[in-house]
Amino acid sequence: MEVQRKGMFSSVMSWVDKRLPLTENLERHLTKHPVPKKVNFFYIFGALLMVIFMVQVVTGIWLMMFYTNTEEGAFASVEYIMRDVEYGWLMRYMHSTGASAFFFLMYFHMFRGLLYGSYQKPKELVWLFGCFLLFLLMAEGFLGYVLPWGQMSYWAANVILSLFGAIPFIGPDLQVWIQGDYVLSGATLSRFFALHVVVVPLLMIALVVFHIFALHEVGAGNPEGVNIEKYRDESGMPLDGAPFHPYKTLSALPAIGVFFIVFFGIVFFAPEGGGYFLEKPNFEEANFLKTPEHIAPVWYYAPFYSILRAITFGIPFLGITSKFLGFIIFAGSIAILFVIPWLDRSKVQSIRYKGVYSKIGMVVFAVSFITLGYLGTKPVNEMRTLLAQICTLLYFLPLILMPIYTKYEKTLEVPERL
Amino acid sequence: MFKLALLFFMLFAGETWSAGEKECGSLEYCDEYKSNVHDLYSLQRGLGLYKNYCSSCHTLKYLRWNRLQRDLDIPESILTEDLIGSPEVKTSDFITFGLPEISAIGAPDLTLRTRVRGEEWIYTYLRTFYDDIDQPTGANNLVYPGTAMLNVLSGLQGRQELTPDGRLLKSSDGTMTKEEFDLAIGDLVTFLAYASEPARITRERNGIFVILFFIVFTAVMWLLNREYTKDIK
Repeated sequence: MEVQRKGMFSSVMSWVDKRLPLTENLERHLTKHPVPKKVNFFYIFGALLMVIFMVQVVTGIWLMMFYTNTEEGAFASVEYIMRDVEYGWLMRYMHSTGASAFFFLMYFHMFRGLLYGSYQKPKELVWLFGCFLLFLLMAEGFLGYVLPWGQMSYWAANVILSLFGAIPFIGPDLQVWIQGDYVLSGATLSRFFALHVVVVPLLMIALVVFHIFALHEVGAGNPEGVNIEKYRDESGMPLDGAPFHPYKTLSALPAIGVFFIVFFGIVFFAPEGGGYFLEKPNFEEANFLKTPEHIAPVWYYAPFYSILRAITFGIPFLGITSKFLGFIIFAGSIAILFVIPWLDRSKVQSIRYKGVYSKIGMVVFAVSFITLGYLGTKPVNEMRTLLAQICTLLYFLPLILMPIYTKYEKTLEVPERL
Repeated sequence: MFKLALLFFMLFAGETWSAGEKECGSLEYCDEYKSNVHDLYSLQRGLGLYKNYCSSCHTLKYLRWNRLQRDLDIPESILTEDLIGSPEVKTSDFITFGLPEISAIGAPDLTLRTRVRGEEWIYTYLRTFYDDIDQPTGANNLVYPGTAMLNVLSGLQGRQELTPDGRLLKSSDGTMTKEEFDLAIGDLVTFLAYASEPARITRERNGIFVILFFIVFTAVMWLLNREYTKDIK
């Protein structure tokens, strides 16, 4: 694209533009990319996720400068960062609080998607890339949690790795292959370090790029589920839309400010998050002779951990142990999110215009997810296991029945304009 | 459906939510205690108690002498002569009191102990020792029954006995009254809380400025955004 400009800056820009489509892409993705004018607060989480991703990358780089990835040195090096490195404690607390914030924002971002049908045709790929990102974030969080080499790092990793060992036939060998040793050891720690700082973040960056390119191809949604592309002014800008920059970038800034007030409130005044962000047993160095009384995952894995624990029965005549069935259902609880675009047969996008069954389904799904999360952080007893089993069922039911109720329920008329 | 869910919740209430978990070892609740690491004198008194009563068994292997000196405002002569007391130990060394890396009697390192157990747990634990002739050490503990730790603080607290209904009763006086002893243990826990996270002093002191910055930032950005949004209304 030929752009006519005057002055030094523009001559440089046109020199670049002849060799690299810079202006074209800036316009396509920033200055001329149309986004809906009216959205609600649920639409801020994407921007906040970008911010927290950058926080994690930057603080992670600084932590990596001082961290030792060996069995003997890991725990002490974290204390070294906390005590002897200037502002090391700040980097560490920002990184650990950032992990919790990342999941918090991710869950709200995805819940927004469920509420307003942000996965429906033609946004299936946006949703799929997002689900992959959730999966990668879970892997990243798990790998990173092992690195401080505290008691909970060690034993929680043991629980998760033993799940691979529960797979019939190949399980035990697979577990040894992943661990790099017959038990969880320094060999595991150093490979988890490599995966945590290089492999998974690289994949995440790639997927974030795909996620955003796909989004910019199909256009951002809105709480009404209205297609803003329909009505345009003379310049081709949708009547209900505004350029991403400066309008959306500026509206994100106060939200980022509010987010940082809360974020730094936790970092400076409650970095342990009441034992939910930094768990107490993790201040004790990993000891393979001493199992903690109660192995609890960090809060953001709790719902899925609860599903895993809820399966107390196997299918004996198929040779499936309760542990392996738990693993299948646990994996299924994440896998089912990927296929939601094909489960929803509704004519409308937004929950506002969907029928009553969709609304009930959404409430049941959300309540069971939160209940599972609560249960996952507590030790088991009979009542809790039963409740977790009921909630596991209630987690899956709204999704499994979605093709039926979304097809037949009565929907409301969607307006033409925002 | 919603009613059904509600019914379930009512059925499970009680048993599920508070399944009689003990929050404080074998005790239902710990005594309340909140440390204030900004109280320099409390920290210094705590250090004194630590040196006299804890340091012959417990190390502080992640804390350095000179960090302690800087944060607790300890004069050089007191540090080298009274606290370190050995020409082989440098002020940049960790506080190990010459004890071996792995304690011969299994006494844990106390640097991070308040973060592992919680301040209230330690505060309650140190005040609930009682005489028990069935124990090899002659003493037992309400929070941690069968503890291997000796009742080293009995000289200050006096001896206690367990009544059949589970309360502690003083059987002899120590050098401190109950109130003095509670305050002293408070100082000790405050010192341990400091040792577990020396950065807490700066963290709690300076955090407010970061928060204030972001309050101003948010206000300015909100005004800027309001100005721009007028164009597209």
